[in-house]
Amino acid sequence: MSWFMGVDIGSAYTKGVITRDLELVASHTIISGTNHRTSAQAIRSELMRKINLTDNDILNTVATGYGADSVYFADHKASDIVCTARGINNVFPQARTVIDIASQSTRVIRLNESGIVTNFTVSEKCAAGSGRFVEVIANILRIDLADFGRLAARSKNPITFGTGCAVFGESEAITRISEGIPKEDIAAGVSKALASKITSLVKKVRLEEPCAVCGGGALNTSLVKTTETELSINLLIPPRPQLVTALGAAIIAATLKTSQSSKKRGFWPAPDRKRLPDEQ
Amino acid sequence: MHFAGVDIGSTMTKVVLTDKTGNLLSTIKGPTGAEHRQLANEVMRQALQEAGLQIDDISYIVATGYGRLNVPFADCQITELSCHARGVHSLFPNVRTAIDIGGQDAKCMKIENGRLLNFVMNDKCAAGTGRFLEVSATALGIKLEDMGDISVKATKKVQISNLCTIFAQQEVVALISRGEELENILAGLHDALAGRIAALARRLGIEPDLVLTGGVAKNIGMVKAMKESLDCEILVPEEPLITGALGAAILADEIYMKAVAAGEALSTKARRLEKATFFGEERR
Repeated sequence: MSWFMGVDIGSAYTKGVITRDLELVASHTIISGTNHRTSAQAIRSELMRKINLTDNDILNTVATGYGADSVYFADHKASDIVCTARGINNVFPQARTVIDIASQSTRVIRLNESGIVTNFTVSEKCAAGSGRFVEVIANILRIDLADFGRLAARSKNPITFGTGCAVFGESEAITRISEGIPKEDIAAGVSKALASKITSLVKKVRLEEPCAVCGGGALNTSLVKTTETELSINLLIPPRPQLVTALGAAIIAATLKTSQSSKKRGFWPAPDRKRLPDEQ
Repeated sequence: MHFAGVDIGSTMTKVVLTDKTGNLLSTIKGPTGAEHRQLANEVMRQALQEAGLQIDDISYIVATGYGRLNVPFADCQITELSCHARGVHSLFPNVRTAIDIGGQDAKCMKIENGRLLNFVMNDKCAAGTGRFLEVSATALGIKLEDMGDISVKATKKVQISNLCTIFAQQEVVALISRGEELENILAGLHDALAGRIAALARRLGIEPDLVLTGGVAKNIGMVKAMKESLDCEILVPEEPLITGALGAAILADEIYMKAVAAGEALSTKARRLEKATFFGEERR
């Protein structure tokens, strides 16, 4: 029996999970903040407290996400794309496509039956294509992000945003509020706009069913439903969608055999370099 | 005989009044707000007051800008592109390229003898408009009008790696917490915006004389950054906000004179300023 840790430092939240072999035993989420090193440390000590273990009991730790470099205690660093695929494969082995709706980006990943990535595409240039758009409008509507999906799901008349830009969308939402349009119609309009961006991303990598959805955006029921309608498919939703990538990292940690040697080599184990012909 | 041009932009409403010889009688600017009609009336009243005129004294009124359909007293609507071209030409007769950066869009125009030949514009993404600077100013807690003055003091440019205005806002705050100097960050922001607008202008082809207008042209940091990005001289009108309204007033004059010369009757709207209301309710 061995314990493994996956730490995913995203732009908004830092997620950490502990697995025993391949089973999830503990998880913790905190706001990433400006100092990722402190966030990483906080996640580790909280996880250790939860399972009543010490740092030395963890055989391997894999860091991922955009702050992966700050996880100073990690044995290995893995790309978030790879980790998301591994994580979703663990929850839904049948999934062949996964849509990861994060705060700062949206990723669509194609994977095979072993959880290996076969193709992917990322939208990260523009806030209108990520969960951030939802955050921006939720802020304008003065509603809690957690209530956004439920509120939007009540709408009968979603508005259509005339713009593909989150900043202009913000102004548009303000205009609609002043016109007396109900909050739920504006919120549902956000789901519609985002779902259509996600759909065009999915088309880029060509959809193969079954398709799962993860990341914080998967908690937004209205967004998931609208995306399902746009794609005319049913999406698989894992129980804790924000943790999928961290889980994938922990699973990769479990596959790292040479834990002690990689620890000695330092944070980012250098690949064994093959000799070039002229060096021999 | 007097003429008026009303330019309702996304951020500011501008009114220009001219007499029959084309002299500027008054130029007034006011914020646009959600209810265009109300502010159009208000800004027009101020302009008339400054010029010592009554609304009945105005022979013809042209409205332009993105809110041009919401000017109840305007006789005719003309797109802001034509109006800008004409307005810029009247100030700089040799203008061939005009770049107008507003609060919600950026336009690059090719002009020949005051006529618009071609244009490209960005109104899709805030990152290529004045809004980019507005949002950044809010994030940094500084006044929009101070941005340019601070940015020209920079000793280096801090590269802004995010394109999206919203992501850049976050990046800017992170840069501050990392200890970067404010002026260097501002120089980086101006450079990023100038780079995007220069790329837009290059699609059209740049020919001198080049004139920069719109609210962003008031920002000396932006004029400097545009000079560097485009690598050419840039002319800026004394009041860069009013070229659209000025062009509208000039076009009003032309339309009116042409009709008079042809002996045609022009249809004009009722010369009446409405009481300022806010969505039907009287303004408090």
